[in-house]
Amino acid sequence: MTTQAPALAPAAVSRPRTARRARRLPAPALVSAVVLAAVAALTLLAPLISPYGPLEGDLAARLQPIGSPGHLLGTDGQGRDVLTRLLHGARPSLLAGLLPVVFAAAVGIVLGLVAALGHPRVHTLVMRSLDVLYAFPAVLLAIAIAAALGSGISNAIIALAVILVPPVARVTESEAMRIKSADFMAAAQVSGAGRVSIALRQVLPNVAPGVVVYATALVGLSIVYAAGLSYLGLGVSPPTAEWGVMVSEMQQYLFTAPSLLLVPAVAILVVSVAFNVLGDGLRDFFNVRTDAS
Amino acid sequence: MTKFLVRRLLLSVPILLGVSLVVFITIKIIPGDPVASMLGPTSTPEAREALTARLGLDQPLPVQYLSWLAAMFQGDLGQSIAQQRPVLGLVADAFVNTLWLTAFSAVLAVVLGLVLGAVAALRRGRVAATVSNALALFSISTPQYTIGLLLIIVLANGTGWFPVSGMYSAIGGGTWGDLLWHLVLPGITAALVPAGIIARMFRSTVLDVMSMDFIDSYRARGLSERRILWHAFHNTTPTLLTVAGLQVGYLLGGVVFVETVFSWPGLGQLVFDSISKRDLAVIQSGVMVAAFAFVLINVVVDLLHSLIDPRVRA
Repeated sequence: MTTQAPALAPAAVSRPRTARRARRLPAPALVSAVVLAAVAALTLLAPLISPYGPLEGDLAARLQPIGSPGHLLGTDGQGRDVLTRLLHGARPSLLAGLLPVVFAAAVGIVLGLVAALGHPRVHTLVMRSLDVLYAFPAVLLAIAIAAALGSGISNAIIALAVILVPPVARVTESEAMRIKSADFMAAAQVSGAGRVSIALRQVLPNVAPGVVVYATALVGLSIVYAAGLSYLGLGVSPPTAEWGVMVSEMQQYLFTAPSLLLVPAVAILVVSVAFNVLGDGLRDFFNVRTDAS
Repeated sequence: MTKFLVRRLLLSVPILLGVSLVVFITIKIIPGDPVASMLGPTSTPEAREALTARLGLDQPLPVQYLSWLAAMFQGDLGQSIAQQRPVLGLVADAFVNTLWLTAFSAVLAVVLGLVLGAVAALRRGRVAATVSNALALFSISTPQYTIGLLLIIVLANGTGWFPVSGMYSAIGGGTWGDLLWHLVLPGITAALVPAGIIARMFRSTVLDVMSMDFIDSYRARGLSERRILWHAFHNTTPTLLTVAGLQVGYLLGGVVFVETVFSWPGLGQLVFDSISKRDLAVIQSGVMVAAFAFVLINVVVDLLHSLIDPRVRA
């Protein structure tokens, strides 16, 4: 019988430790958060860091390779400093990726709550309308909308927001439907709370973590699409510094200066990976399911 | 079974009508006068008026929508302004080209996704699993336009092993081998994102299934690990099918970037080119065809799903 005591003791000790470990963000997610914070800081400090202007070119110093003196990441086809354009380009690139998700989250949450808590007919109307948007291949729809509205960063943001609303609304709706049968909902109804009050005070706080986590995971995708629209000439227009615009500009030097193309490509990849890892980490941390389908 | 199929097909009718409405409205928002762009800057007001009347653009919007819908049902997708050809032929050719790319990428994506996902799930805690997870993460995060350009730099520019644009060689092209050879780089590029998504889904599904009670009971009955894995795999097929089907659908309409980078004459590129030319009939039909194919694929997926898992039919 004495052999049991040492076996039990470590288990009792280790339980709180594992519990504490589970409440911490996983290391890759923390690293991603730090990377994103650094990118945000560099973005804000861009005008202070770089000695050149983003549109200021020296045609005598075209296509300098990475590591040239005075041009850490080289110069582009018009002799503009690539590092400067990368830093200045971060702001539109990140905004065009983040804002659609913010707008889509706001609209998607409202639609999802209305669908879940409204009349069954409203539910059918909202969800079937979303099905229509789901029936489009997302990229093609974004391109069509952006083209219809005309090029420009704000129209690209609207186009991306439209294609991101359906998944957010669907996640919100399924979470809210799950909560609907909870005891506290019945308690709120019995105590005479109105529909809006129930939606805002009971349901929203419960669905918010899941939706926020899901939205974080969408940011990486959104940044890739936003830069893609600019790459196609439907988002930010040249000569403004933006990562997608930079990829498109560097493409003509694909065979003469291929390494320069890597700079904006790696920037988009790093930010997109960081958001995806952060999204995964938050999902595990809050232990939410985020299946849109 | 037939009942299920009929019901599923009927359900997609209102969705397709909704799709057509969204396409119609989107096209109407596009700024610029299509008649003016068709006739050019030197046209007289009378000529413009005549063409407007001939195209029915002077009718109220609901009438325009219905007549467009009616014409589409009769296979009349209109005339391309830019290419002076019926849109039907243009869109059909481009769609077939996109189908080749989609089919090739879909096979690559499913194989790659299954391998990465299986390694990540079954070699948990080992280096191989970490590498698989990282690869899956990178492939879903990588923009197709940059990975395509990188592949050109690394695999085509340096070595000349693969062609970087078009579907066939100008000289001695046109064979199946030639098509396959041209498919390699765009195919890999387009396959990465769906491969990553399939890998991550397959990993979590395998982990879910492997923790179910029936696996323990098989193990208790002394089944070999290989037999157990086979049973587990069988249980992942419904999810796999759904996700893979969805990804094929996305590929159909989502390879615009790949088609642009590799000058692949597909639907995405046709729509994109038509945007700058204000070739509205082509944009309309191109997006409609992509959405139609997407809805159809979903019906097929549901159908296969119900064949595998009879519970769905209820």
